[in-house]
Amino acid sequence: MNIRILKPAALAVVGAAVVCAAISAPQASDKLDGKALYRERCGMCHQGIGMAVSLLSRRPGDTSKGLLEDRKDLSAEFVFTAARTGIGNMPRIARGEVSDPELASIADYLTRARP
Amino acid sequence: MKRTLPPGLAATQFDAALKEFGHAIGEDWVLATDLDRDTYLDHFAVDEAAHAPSAALAPLTAAEVQEILRIANRHKVPLWPISRGKNFGYGGSAPLLKGSVVLDLSRMKKIDFDAENGVAVVEPGVGFYDLYDYIQQHKLPYWTSVPGNSWGSVLGNALDRGVGYTTYGEHTARLCGLEVVMPNGELLRTGMGAMSGSPTWNLYRYGFGPSWEQMFVQSNYGVVTKAGVWLMPAPESMIGLDLEMDNADDLGWVVDVVAGMRRDGLLQQSPSIGSWLRQAAVLTTRKDWYDKPGALPDEVIAAIRKKYNIGWWSISLRLYGYESVNEASAAIIQAQFARKSAKPMTVTRWKQGEPLNPSPGQAAFAGVPITFPLANAAWHGGRGGHLGYSPVLPANGKAAMEQFRRTYDRYKEFGMDYHGSFAMGERSIVNVNQVLFNKDDRDMMGRVGKFFRALVDDASKQHYGEYRTHIDYMDLVAGTYDFNNHALRRANETIKDALDPNGILAPGKSGIWPKRYRNLRT
Repeated sequence: MNIRILKPAALAVVGAAVVCAAISAPQASDKLDGKALYRERCGMCHQGIGMAVSLLSRRPGDTSKGLLEDRKDLSAEFVFTAARTGIGNMPRIARGEVSDPELASIADYLTRARP
Repeated sequence: MKRTLPPGLAATQFDAALKEFGHAIGEDWVLATDLDRDTYLDHFAVDEAAHAPSAALAPLTAAEVQEILRIANRHKVPLWPISRGKNFGYGGSAPLLKGSVVLDLSRMKKIDFDAENGVAVVEPGVGFYDLYDYIQQHKLPYWTSVPGNSWGSVLGNALDRGVGYTTYGEHTARLCGLEVVMPNGELLRTGMGAMSGSPTWNLYRYGFGPSWEQMFVQSNYGVVTKAGVWLMPAPESMIGLDLEMDNADDLGWVVDVVAGMRRDGLLQQSPSIGSWLRQAAVLTTRKDWYDKPGALPDEVIAAIRKKYNIGWWSISLRLYGYESVNEASAAIIQAQFARKSAKPMTVTRWKQGEPLNPSPGQAAFAGVPITFPLANAAWHGGRGGHLGYSPVLPANGKAAMEQFRRTYDRYKEFGMDYHGSFAMGERSIVNVNQVLFNKDDRDMMGRVGKFFRALVDDASKQHYGEYRTHIDYMDLVAGTYDFNNHALRRANETIKDALDPNGILAPGKSGIWPKRYRNLRT
């Protein structure tokens, strides 16, 4: 079982909307797997029963059930800025934990073209 | 954030040190931009700038850590080691001493697993999710013990005396064998690891002569680069016994009943008796119920409890091991509770072979990592945060009730919502109280410091000390340990000066200041 995709059950409802100045996102590297990195580095909060899923799913009008992977409104700059400056309950993520190339690959995955 | 240098260090010397750090670990891993400094601030701090770092270093190996310490000694640069920096409520990744360089060990993520003995040897960057995934991937018959915020480091949590939910929940007690880089850069191994190639380094705790594991716990005497951690064999059965209690006064008898079970060994796990807000704060937010300042009125508390079916207090007991033993223990536990309460306990049963797919509230009891309790920081809205205030009490109901009443009154006096729990040890209680706040509420943030100091003062009058605290209050709490005019602190600092004469490692951690910075004690 991949714990990061454990299904949410009882958790529900309001993340604070925080506007931050955008930071330019670096280029992603072809050698990195953004999807795998996202699940490994972000999944604890952004998948399954994670803290962010619980809070984001409470936002009025949310149709993604709090899952970033299902959203189509994210930009690479937004992902990069949210990670490095923090947003709402989300603490800042340092380069020691997720490097710039890794974060760029994650942003690439979250903003991938989808039908 | 603009750079603030460590006290007394010239910019030229600091820059020279950064250059040498870059040669040792690669320039890419010297993190010294304004944005880098921001990323290591304490997200939950009352005053983030008070603990701003000057830079961070992210080594990959113990050899690189050794080299960093040698360079730091040459240039007198203070370092603040973090494992993964997720110690929210206690300082996160930020250094106590402003201007320190964060030594970020997140990239050190090796796991060696002894499947026969159930021992993982982990580096500091290994998180609870990493270890859990490793065990699942390799189909190993062991369970992890995880804390309420499992984002953090297995090793780091044990070194800060963090706790989990299973019988292996006293994490520092499950450490066996450390590898440590000492302040002078020398590498040592504790216990049996002091013998080259010892097969029992991570199996027998003490070695020969003095045993030093606890010396590196909540201290600033070395950088732990590896730790042996014992894991619980996957049990044949798990039985859950849960009870929601209706009245605040129920705390006393529950403590007495559970204290007996912990003393005689009937209950091997440390259950925590939590107030209603512990559950409510992850399910809802305050403004959905009440829009006025000050502590919540009783009728609002009653309405929230009713909606979510939460007791004033709740407790979850868990039995792990052989099914027949668990069934016998469960019957005795239920009988002991029945003598005090007509309300039956909710019983859940799981056996090997059945799918283990726990609901969120049950996940941690099955050793499954969780982060959803962190949602409690959103209780007030705005940029949330919390502080932990955690005195240690004797394990009896009268002491617990008195401490609860004192603390509850203080929460009301300062207009804060009470969030308390009583974790039942074998002979003691750790009374963890969370102070939830909204960093965007200036009035509330202005009360936090005075409130916290009042709580510590109340506990000190009972001669209760805290087991762990935020970096803002380490001197305050260390100062309450005052036997024989602070004899223990003097001994701690004598050791500090002997091991770290340049005072480079985590100055001020746990109230232990090296001679070089001792004038900074608050």
